[in-house]
Amino acid sequence: MMEVSSLTTIAFWATSALILGLALIVVTQRDVFRAAIALAGSFFGVGILYFILSAEFVGVVQILVYVGAISVLMAFAVMFIQDIASGSRPSQGRLVGAAVAVLIFAALAFTAYNTNWSSMDEITDPVAVAALTEGYTERTIDGEIQILGQGVAPDAGFDIENDGVFVDSTSALGVSLIREYMLAFEIIGLLLVASLIGGLLLIRDRSPETESEAAEAETGGASV
Amino acid sequence: MTIENVLLVSAALFAIGAYGVVSRRSLITVIMSLELMFNGVVIAAVGFSRFTPAAALLSGDPITAEAIRSALTGHVFAIFVTSVAAGEAALAFALVFAMYRATESVEITDASEMKN
Repeated sequence: MMEVSSLTTIAFWATSALILGLALIVVTQRDVFRAAIALAGSFFGVGILYFILSAEFVGVVQILVYVGAISVLMAFAVMFIQDIASGSRPSQGRLVGAAVAVLIFAALAFTAYNTNWSSMDEITDPVAVAALTEGYTERTIDGEIQILGQGVAPDAGFDIENDGVFVDSTSALGVSLIREYMLAFEIIGLLLVASLIGGLLLIRDRSPETESEAAEAETGGASV
Repeated sequence: MTIENVLLVSAALFAIGAYGVVSRRSLITVIMSLELMFNGVVIAAVGFSRFTPAAALLSGDPITAEAIRSALTGHVFAIFVTSVAAGEAALAFALVFAMYRATESVEITDASEMKN
């Protein structure tokens, strides 16, 4: 099941080459602004890679969050900090860093190729195969939800018809996020608010003049 | 395109990011390299979701809706890692600004004193 066409394979390798080439520019370029641009391109390539891996929603999130937000944040940081003209100089640990990176890569690649990964073909249940690639029907019988394969007689009012989770991963992902991962989903919201407040606290200007100005503004607001 | 190929790209991106973290002096480039490493990890998660079967679908038990949705655990993982990375990037740049205001520099070698 889920064969990969040769066109997809070509697209996969082309995108991978783009991602890795731009990533290499990021870590070798002295000009920080050019590095930021290359980083945005690399993030965009990763987004395309998610589409190739049939994870459309993750791909859109990647482009919105990384290309749209984090890259812009980096560009702002580069423009705010003036002494960037001197560039990002390499540190003394360059050779050691290269050696460690090659070792990490070799270990991970060795593990990837020497592990006997289970494959999608091991799923034999026809209902499961159809649920992943074609579609499935949820029918409530005596208060219990049962999964039926394709081609069952429709029973309007009691059936929920779904596309296969790899055909329409977005809706299955949405259901998954608010059922199985509800608590983690809420905590992520809390974490984002906490990091927002933390960021504001860190860059707050604590010099005496601004403190007194802020106090004046506060009392002025209270009298009005 | 197999799971091995996806893991190879993921490992290469992670290693390039690791090289950038230890070989650059500017804090901004170090944070960029950290984001590259995050991306390498997420590619592996999405690749596993696409190419390896969920355990609940192999067990032979009757298929439930939860078992079918568990095929997308890698996607859920990707979304959570992306959100944490976004929060981390915001905090990291706040730290860089705070350090730049205190020391007029964003080089890691000048960051040994973070007082005030």
